Amino acid sequence: MLKIRWFRGQWLHITFARVLLYVVMIVLVCFTALPLVYLISTAFKPLDELFVYPPQFFVRNPTTANFSDLVVSLGSSTVPFTRYAFNSIVITTIIVLCTVIVSCMGAYSLVKLNPPGGKFLFNLILIALMFSAHVTKIPSYMVVNGLGLINTYGALILPNIAVAYNIFLIKQFMEQYPDELLEAARIDGAGEMRVFLQMVMPALKPATATLTVFSFVNNWNDYFSPLIYVTSQAMKTLPLALQTIGGGAAGMSVGRAGAVAAATFLMTAPTVIIFVIKQGQVMETMTYSGIKG
Amino acid sequence: MKEGKVNKDTSKPNEAANSAKAPASKGAPKKFQMDLNKRNSLKGLVFVSPFIIGILAFFIYPICLSLRLSVGESVAIVGMKVQGFTVDNFVRAFVVDTTFLPTFATAVKQTLTQFPLTIVLSLIIAVLLNRDIKCRGLFRVIFFIPFLLGSGEVMQQLLNQGVDRSVLNVMDGRLIPYNVLSYFGDTIMEVVQNVMGMLVTVLWGSGVQILLFLSGLQSISPSLYEAAKIDGATEWEIFWKVTIPMISPMMLLNIVYTVVNSFTNISNPLLTYIQTYGFDKAEFAYGAAMGWIYFAFIGVLVGIIFAIMKGFIHTNEVEEVKKRERKHRVFTIEKAPKRTFD
Repeated sequence: MLKIRWFRGQWLHITFARVLLYVVMIVLVCFTALPLVYLISTAFKPLDELFVYPPQFFVRNPTTANFSDLVVSLGSSTVPFTRYAFNSIVITTIIVLCTVIVSCMGAYSLVKLNPPGGKFLFNLILIALMFSAHVTKIPSYMVVNGLGLINTYGALILPNIAVAYNIFLIKQFMEQYPDELLEAARIDGAGEMRVFLQMVMPALKPATATLTVFSFVNNWNDYFSPLIYVTSQAMKTLPLALQTIGGGAAGMSVGRAGAVAAATFLMTAPTVIIFVIKQGQVMETMTYSGIKG
Repeated sequence: MKEGKVNKDTSKPNEAANSAKAPASKGAPKKFQMDLNKRNSLKGLVFVSPFIIGILAFFIYPICLSLRLSVGESVAIVGMKVQGFTVDNFVRAFVVDTTFLPTFATAVKQTLTQFPLTIVLSLIIAVLLNRDIKCRGLFRVIFFIPFLLGSGEVMQQLLNQGVDRSVLNVMDGRLIPYNVLSYFGDTIMEVVQNVMGMLVTVLWGSGVQILLFLSGLQSISPSLYEAAKIDGATEWEIFWKVTIPMISPMMLLNIVYTVVNSFTNISNPLLTYIQTYGFDKAEFAYGAAMGWIYFAFIGVLVGIIFAIMKGFIHTNEVEEVKKRERKHRVFTIEKAPKRTFD
């Protein structure tokens, strides 16, 4: 054990356990951060460095040529890169907003209001958790087709709103919310809508933040639904576009490797930014508002 | 009370109409009132209805259609007309198809080896992250980044570019210098290489689990730790006797999430196999049948996990008692007006 005089007259205690803790953390963090480091450095690599074997982790002569290449190579095609980005942003934003509202309302009802058939619905949600969406993709296509939504934003938005996992997540948090508070509010004359909006929603902030991050990441990276529901180029989203730029599923075309790296970087940035903004709230614990569970 | 029963299934507008009518027909100043539980459940129905509509249209109906597809003969691909009832598709998966069962086994093996590692490692990291260390926020963000990069296209691009190879390759002397390497034998190096590979794969796949464990850890009341410390428990004892029981519900959620996630991941070999039948070969019926077999297996596995974990899950007894009391209280309030005190 070592004692070091820290600034403002504080004492810094260095113990073996603490040092070990930091060393373990830093090693683990190094492993985990590698893909991101690689992603960023690749986006700025000039063409000759992109194809070095074995791949280099760090860029030697950083350049922004890849980004201008991305704009130029797609500028000549009928659909500009910004259109893909616009599609992705619009679709993901609407899905996240709707799914947060629908899941919170549903979970509130299931946990606190006991609607008829609530137990059955909850069991259904548990079953739905185990289902891979891919198994039902073809019948889902029939539904979307029947509604006449193919090639619209609706086809990409509607099927992704009522998701079992989302309502399950909110439900887990909702169970911690004390009934006493709701009863008190009702006795004081608050309507159900008001109880929900002014009492439940603020208390659920950490849960909704978590859901926002989950839902945003999942839908932002969703490759499958645009592949199935959308045929026109102008309606495609970023993950699909990324593959188009790369030269199709068969393999990467060599000339576009730089543009792909840049596009990958641009595609990842929003998810990281969203998480960094929301992470404080995601980690926050539920407030018990004076009542211990 | 009687009227409440009659109007059990009517929606809100009707309720309003009745309440207006009731005094007139009876000629008494008694207002129409639904009993509290019924009113609550009706409100509940209104609140949950958007979710029900969504899940009906995009989950229940497609599921039924896919079930129908798996046990029938597809007559026309356009419009997906199905008729008859056969189990041919299921028989085909087990008897005729020689690739199905081996692929199935690979998928199961992959999951069963990875999920215990993921759970243990993410629990350890979550416990470390929950301690009072500097730059906690930064650490959390970094551990979550692989999840953000996603199971999707970005990760695929990275793998194409060989990011895993360059990370895993300890032998080429960039991570550890050659003169250090030469002290170890080849077998040791191989073990190290495998461990590193496993570590990276597991670490990249455990962002969500770490997050869920963290939120579980943070909801443990500090007073429990204080009490344990006052009673003279060591850190080790506190971990096993306080932390583990308190986060056991989160543990169950995490295990189920990990298992299901690895089974429904795009990189899962069996799903890719099912997809080739569904999309490339247009044999929807056979694809649907394989999907159902797979789902039945997952369902059984998760059921087993639930059954095993049930004994270990810590339930809050105080909360249970309170809930029972609450129900009782509501009951007495309802009965109260009938009593007369003279």
